[in-house]
Amino acid sequence: MAEHKIRVLLCKTTMESHDRGVRFLATKLRDAGMEVIYLNFLEPSEVVETAIEEDVDVVGLSSSVQGHVAVLEDVTSQLQTRGRDDVLILVGGVIPEEDVEPLRAMGVSGVFGPGSYVNDIVQFIREKVSARI
Amino acid sequence: MADQQEPRETVHPMFEPEFLEATRRLEEQWRKDFDKIAERFGVDPATYQAYTRSGLPIKPVYFPHDVAAIPYHEIGSPGLFPYTRGLLAAQYQFMPWANQPVMGYGLPEETRERMDFLRAQGMTGYFGKTFYNLVYDLVSHEGVDPDHPAARGRVGQCGMAVYCRRDMERLFDGLELTQMNVVHITGYETIPVFAHYLAYAQQRGVPWQKLLGNTMNWYYQSAYCGMTTFPPQAGVDLAVELIQFCNEQMPQWNTLNLFGYGMEEAGAVAVEEVAFSVAAGLDYARACMAQGLAPDDFLPRFGFQIAQANDFFEEIAKVRALRRLWAKTCQALGATKPSAMHVRIHTHTSGVELTAQQPLNNLVRTTLHALGAALAGTQAMEVSAYDEALSIPTEASHTQSLRLQQIIQEETNITQVADPLGGAYYVESLTSQVEAAAVKLLEEVERLGGYRHAHEFIRARIESSAQAWRDQIDRNQRFVVGINKYVTDDVQKVEKFKVSLASEHESVRRIQALRAERDGPRWELAMAMVDKAVARFARGENDHTLIPAMVAASHADATTGELMAVLKRHLGWHAPV
Repeated sequence: MAEHKIRVLLCKTTMESHDRGVRFLATKLRDAGMEVIYLNFLEPSEVVETAIEEDVDVVGLSSSVQGHVAVLEDVTSQLQTRGRDDVLILVGGVIPEEDVEPLRAMGVSGVFGPGSYVNDIVQFIREKVSARI
Repeated sequence: MADQQEPRETVHPMFEPEFLEATRRLEEQWRKDFDKIAERFGVDPATYQAYTRSGLPIKPVYFPHDVAAIPYHEIGSPGLFPYTRGLLAAQYQFMPWANQPVMGYGLPEETRERMDFLRAQGMTGYFGKTFYNLVYDLVSHEGVDPDHPAARGRVGQCGMAVYCRRDMERLFDGLELTQMNVVHITGYETIPVFAHYLAYAQQRGVPWQKLLGNTMNWYYQSAYCGMTTFPPQAGVDLAVELIQFCNEQMPQWNTLNLFGYGMEEAGAVAVEEVAFSVAAGLDYARACMAQGLAPDDFLPRFGFQIAQANDFFEEIAKVRALRRLWAKTCQALGATKPSAMHVRIHTHTSGVELTAQQPLNNLVRTTLHALGAALAGTQAMEVSAYDEALSIPTEASHTQSLRLQQIIQEETNITQVADPLGGAYYVESLTSQVEAAAVKLLEEVERLGGYRHAHEFIRARIESSAQAWRDQIDRNQRFVVGINKYVTDDVQKVEKFKVSLASEHESVRRIQALRAERDGPRWELAMAMVDKAVARFARGENDHTLIPAMVAASHADATTGELMAVLKRHLGWHAPV
């Protein structure tokens, strides 16, 4: 059986210029053998559309300037409505501690704050995605 | 001692060939001793080599012969071309650098509270004026209004929720506009925000030529940032339009900010920051000249925002090299006035070097950054707060950053001497190295047709530097305290600032009230004029009505989102035909 190539959608709002971390992550996930789709979006529905069109296993949102809770509320609920709540949702960047619980409650599996190691993220994705397939 | 009263006999012939022979022999002897020590540490002296953060090779110690080949006029004196040692004959002796902390959060009146507070804490600009370095929120940067679906959760975060002329009233009423300098930190919405400020000044009866401040004109960020509202050429055109407008009507206004800091935050090393800042400035300057503007008229109003990061001496050399390279570049363009060749620097101490882990360590990092900037001779400074990696600054952390500047200014005595590191063998040698490496990189950009045509090259360079930095940390070839060395499980608790959701709701309520209350027909007419002006501009039939039409629309209560929608429609990205 051919090995499943993990497909990851990494995204960031067009409003934010802090894309150093997420672009680094994109390169490293690709180096780790994953397919990476990168999206600058304005509205959360664009994330959902792209995730479904590209049939991704993972959606990773990068955020350093707030707004991530609102975006992920929309993304998780829209994915659920469209029957795709199997997609693994991650968020990284400047994520205040007090947001972690509400994010988990809405179905965000991984939260990776400042200074996180890419290897930890790669491992996290591999474990979680293989458990789902 | 009597013989020392005869200067001619006691002065060392430092750069004469015989003396340089002697210092070279001195270095050979030193090298033998150094190598012995290296061997004792198990290091092979033959391959031992240290580098700066930019990858420039550096020696373990420097000698007079390391600087002997630098023409003395390249170093010169403060206030003399090529301004390596500083722009003016006096540096901080009579007036220190301006305190210019970045501010902006929540509703305009919340930002105003912070402005008043920091001013009361002694935040000081030039000649008794106060500098307000104000950042707009990302909703404004994107060019939408706070009731747009994409704005949810972002209003007044990471910037102030200011979207129209009435918000300018909430921000500035009661302040004497001619006695302050306002830096409008915007993204691609530079012109709409500028229009609101001009409309507001008009309403207050303040002539535009008496306004002091800066517009960013950061369109060239499209080379190294993910977000880009306008294609490169449209960005250049919009920037030149504003520069031309100010050239005629507001000669004191600082039109263009060359944002090396943004490049550094995206990953650029010192050499890249110098080369790409100069490349962007050169490209925009040529575009101004193509419109018939004279270098001596518009160049004095260009400014720089430069990072001060961790490699202490390279960052100082970077600033000195930038001054020299920009001066030469402007002279080659035909500038003759000193102010048309000056690099006026707003230092922004590095944000990316700061950590969320052990956040109080950031105070130490930013102190080193600020000291470096002061030794390099900056004109104004923002010192990142110690909670930078966690949230926007609290009142306490904001004040601490200001105190940090004030302590250096008041207590260290470094302000008494201009360019205190000038003449140091290492610093002069490294300054020349940074300049030479930047010139090479600049030439590559020029070969590609200049900055606006070199986006891919610039992005690739900056991104590969960013990647190298993190790879080095991950491989433990570079250490960051709290990240991959001296890691501790103890969490330093610091208070975090949070913008209330109530501010967002109020902001949405206000913008909807504005649309309901404003004079509809007047607004429609004003917006139609904006549309016509922008359409002509986009067609290359520029009649310079774009800015005046936007000011008129701001008077008619048009919002930033509405004005930006017109700019995007005519000048934004379109699917390839």
